[in-house]
Amino acid sequence: MNIVVVGYGMVGSRFVEELCAITSPESQTLHITVLGAEHCDPYNRVLLSEVVAGAYDVAAITMPTIRDPRVHIRQGVTATRINRDQRTVTDSNGNHHPYDALVLATGATARIPTLPGITHTPPGTGEPGDTPPEPSLIPGVHVLRTIDDAREIVAATLNAPAAIVLGGGVLGIEVAVGLAGRGLAVDLVHPRALMNAQLDAPASAVATTMLNRRGITVRTGTAATAATTHPTGRITGLQLADNTTITAPLLIITAGTTPNTTLAHTANLPTDHGILVTNNLNTTTDPHIYAIGDCAQPPEGCTGLIAPGWDQARHLAATLHHHTTINTPTPRHDPHDIVTVKGAGIDIVTMGISGTRQPPPCDTHPRRTIQLSDPDAGRHLSIIIENGRLIGATCIGAGPIAADLTTTYTNHTPLPRDPAQLLLRPLGPAATTTTDSPVRIPDRATICRCNGVTKGDLISAWNSGARSTADFAQRTRATTGCGGCTEAVCGIADWLRASASQDTPGEGEAAAQGQRKEATVSV
Amino acid sequence: MCQKGWTSPEVLTVSDRLTTPLIRDSEGNLQPASWDVALDLIASKITGIQAEHGRDAVAVFGGGGLTNEKAYQLGKFARIALRTANIDYNGRFCMSSAAAAANRSLGLDRGLSFPVTDLDDAAMVVLVGSNPSETMPPFVAHLNGARESGGLVVLDPRRSATAELTGPVAPDGVSSTGGMHIQPLPGTDLAVLLGIAHVVVMEGLLDTEYVAQRTQGFDELAASLASWWPERVAQVAGVPAPQIRQVARQLAHASPHRGGRGAFIITGRGLEQSRQGTDGVTAAINLALLLGLVGRQGSGFGTLTGQGNGQGGREHGQKADQLPGYRMITDPAARSHVAAVWGVHPDDLPGKGKPAVELLNSLGQPGGPRALLVHGSNVVVSAPHATQVQDRLKALDLLVVCDVVPSETAMLADVVLPVLQWAEEEGTMTSLEGRVLRRRKNCDAPGDARSELWVWQQLAGRLNAPGVWSVDAGEVFDELARASAGGKADYSGLSHARLDEHEAATGGADGSGLYWPVPSPAHPGTPRPFADAFPTVSGRAALVPVQHVGPSDALSPDFPVYLVTGRVLQHYQSGAQTRRVEVLHRAVPEVFVEMHPLLADVYGIDEGDDVHLTTRRSTARATVRITNNIRHDTVFMPFHWPGLGAVNRLTTAVTDPISGMPEFKVAAVHLAGGQPTGLTGDTTSTTPSLASEQTTSEVLP
Repeated sequence: MNIVVVGYGMVGSRFVEELCAITSPESQTLHITVLGAEHCDPYNRVLLSEVVAGAYDVAAITMPTIRDPRVHIRQGVTATRINRDQRTVTDSNGNHHPYDALVLATGATARIPTLPGITHTPPGTGEPGDTPPEPSLIPGVHVLRTIDDAREIVAATLNAPAAIVLGGGVLGIEVAVGLAGRGLAVDLVHPRALMNAQLDAPASAVATTMLNRRGITVRTGTAATAATTHPTGRITGLQLADNTTITAPLLIITAGTTPNTTLAHTANLPTDHGILVTNNLNTTTDPHIYAIGDCAQPPEGCTGLIAPGWDQARHLAATLHHHTTINTPTPRHDPHDIVTVKGAGIDIVTMGISGTRQPPPCDTHPRRTIQLSDPDAGRHLSIIIENGRLIGATCIGAGPIAADLTTTYTNHTPLPRDPAQLLLRPLGPAATTTTDSPVRIPDRATICRCNGVTKGDLISAWNSGARSTADFAQRTRATTGCGGCTEAVCGIADWLRASASQDTPGEGEAAAQGQRKEATVSV
Repeated sequence: MCQKGWTSPEVLTVSDRLTTPLIRDSEGNLQPASWDVALDLIASKITGIQAEHGRDAVAVFGGGGLTNEKAYQLGKFARIALRTANIDYNGRFCMSSAAAAANRSLGLDRGLSFPVTDLDDAAMVVLVGSNPSETMPPFVAHLNGARESGGLVVLDPRRSATAELTGPVAPDGVSSTGGMHIQPLPGTDLAVLLGIAHVVVMEGLLDTEYVAQRTQGFDELAASLASWWPERVAQVAGVPAPQIRQVARQLAHASPHRGGRGAFIITGRGLEQSRQGTDGVTAAINLALLLGLVGRQGSGFGTLTGQGNGQGGREHGQKADQLPGYRMITDPAARSHVAAVWGVHPDDLPGKGKPAVELLNSLGQPGGPRALLVHGSNVVVSAPHATQVQDRLKALDLLVVCDVVPSETAMLADVVLPVLQWAEEEGTMTSLEGRVLRRRKNCDAPGDARSELWVWQQLAGRLNAPGVWSVDAGEVFDELARASAGGKADYSGLSHARLDEHEAATGGADGSGLYWPVPSPAHPGTPRPFADAFPTVSGRAALVPVQHVGPSDALSPDFPVYLVTGRVLQHYQSGAQTRRVEVLHRAVPEVFVEMHPLLADVYGIDEGDDVHLTTRRSTARATVRITNNIRHDTVFMPFHWPGLGAVNRLTTAVTDPISGMPEFKVAAVHLAGGQPTGLTGDTTSTTPSLASEQTTSEVLP
């Protein structure tokens, strides 16, 4: 079986890896050809913002290379044409690769907004038959999509005291935080509210405050209207719709991505935003051609996230391995719309339904939205419950709660009877008995775990004459195991000594009773 | 010593101690019999079954609680008296993942490759899925140094007693006085380890010199870690990304290459009893290697043993694929050496047998064993998917159980043989640090109980087996020493006499003693075997890339909550010994299930209620204890009880493809109060009862 994979990025390489893993190495009939446009091994694109931030070395984010005699990788080679009748792919070297199955994993490219001044077109040769040259970004303007982009940005930061980031989505925030961490003065420009695809206005406001605290100037609700440039052609800044002008020798464009569909489109495969595929990742009109990752548009739409891409890779590998279509829709139990913004001091996680783009609730299951708004402390939590399940959440400055909500959301675990409990930290353990004041410890609480000695046992020992730690050890064996309870035993002895002068230790039990009741009520 | 320690003499005198052989009569009742009658019966049945169905039709199941001498002799008995390939033991449920990973990465499986006292001065100790405060209290004192420097890190879905040692929970979940408790979703600790290693590599926190000189495979490992950035791990494991970064940085700070006081990474069953247990331990070893911890004094990697002789029990031939001295049964040189010691031809030794779960599942099946001899194990309680194990035992033509008390497994046997326990016999045990320790006889056994060494001698004679069958533990040890010579676990420089002398000289204190390998009588032993090189072909440790897959038993709307399993302090293994000790039994008299108040509230369950837990296998019953010390999506149930309270009715028999370890720790479960359905017909209480209801015998993780 000949399989041709176009694209050797995070998803294309993962697909090949999965396919090699589930097929027997002896199955010589499998022949996989991979065409990769970049000249390097696959790398983790998600971590490019960490490289920009200086947290990770650019060499560190390389992903596993595939060493399998059945796999033939052509790096620096693009696919130029699909001949669907003959089932071949033509590459940029003019070679033809026959396929039984063609997997398009062409990814996406950074979207360049229409903005006067940011591109220039070098003059063509003017000779007849020559294709006009492509416009390119002017010096000082970068996108962040490839490892080369990251290298160039890192190099540019060395001489730039300031930078403008255009686009206030997830990547824009990560880049802004990373550059600010390098000591650059950063303006983040975004025509709508910050992260408006995921956040509603109140959440967005809290996120903005979080960035302000990292020293970033956030200019939202205002579009860039033009780039200002130096006579040498370098960028010097941006003009904004509100008539302000901001200056910086470095502009990073983080305005989203566009799926690479040209190859498919030219082959008359149906495309919309991305290449249209079924739940089984098959293109809608050609049973031999599949698309996965950022270039694909399954029925539920494009997400631009890596988790669905990797899941598609695994699913398609299994499908092709079994030579049959597995009739389970790709997005199974694992939801894939969890968005986490990385960066020092940044704590923003959203999942499922969030922000303003909420599908209408169904009639049978009313929807509840519960919010905790704490803007002054930089905290905002919002959860959405429907039919006994957490279907969406927004967590800003939520700390460990976000991780709890993620697993609740992902695994559909039972929700507390009052889901508002999810917004605080009752999920964590209560204070420990041994660090409590001796009065508040219930009599039944174990003090010495090694020997199963309760507070009640220690009180009994006291009542029968024990006074020192050594006495307690002799009568109850407390402290004679690991010794970790010695401090607690001393504390209880002190308390007993103090209360002996006043009254009986019985009040401890009463207090403990109250404590116990309180514990069951308060949680 | 803990409560189990000081009450252990009571196990010697329990009221239902087995004191005479028992044979099941035609009406299904166990009746007392003489040793001669019982042994003749066993020998003749074995002979008959093997004549009809072949040698492998008789299987043996051993235990990690047996002395080194008995573990050795049992392996020999299987290979040259029964000549069956089918021998394995309950250590498969305990240490097999750690053993497989250590062998693969380090070339040697010794629980700790350093004296336990090395831990005392460490700046940092990371415990992954281990709860020594409950399972091994004396060990906890060795964590004090790390606690005092805020360097104790515990990975456990439960706020275990050990996790409490890290100090109160900080609001940001990151820092606390004693260290940090990381509370991942069950079955995701491997992902957390990958996340920590990711940060170590990506932030350049590794010991590059050590990695270059003492390991191989770094590039592949680093590439494999690129896909486990902390925010992804947070989504998989429910662990905040800042915790992961913090542990990585703190570990680097504590590591010798950065001038730290030293760091240890220690694994336990929580990580290992999983279908990805070997890979989980491998991830822990990789982390330790990246930081340059393994083989450096004051740092290291280790795994905590679960059974009395969990270390020695896995070195001398009880394992399906193993010969004494930690040799592989598939290695021709190993076969020749051991065959020569045993006085047989190498070709007469059987090959590799089936690992425990596969072995138990094949009992009484077409082509599977027709007879089973059980030594030191209570498989009806301790094996996964226990109801199925019970069915398999019932399908046998012959089940022989050697035990000290009428365990649940003994109650199913055709022949029960009363044997000796700890203070009634001579022998040796090997500690988790590879320290060989003497066990001495302090009292006589009651009634007609006999040593298993004697049982095997008698049976070997009746089966006309070759070889020498001494009943003297010292003589058996000498033979073991010869058989182990040149192997990885080389005991050839040891004898009971040398051990006795050494103990007299040192008092047998922690950290003293003779650590294997001890290849000659003058050799001082090897406390730190990786100091200069790794016993691999290249002399370097292997960095083996691994990936997280997750538990086999997925959550679903029908089974929406995770069940995790484990021990409580007062009981040991299947509880057959400890449930018979009054003070231990009173402390924890019945099986319980721990759950978070929020979860209990969902189901309208109160403290003390009976709850029924159902998995895709079966249903069990337990009393509810409400606690904040567990995740709200997880319940915990200990495994020391039989019958309807046996948690292994619920566990899955899915195993690790490398180690054969069952996935004990994680199952998807459904909870219900009130009357259950489908609870009839498959309980141990339907078998003939010999003693009181509160019975049973030992074994496991």
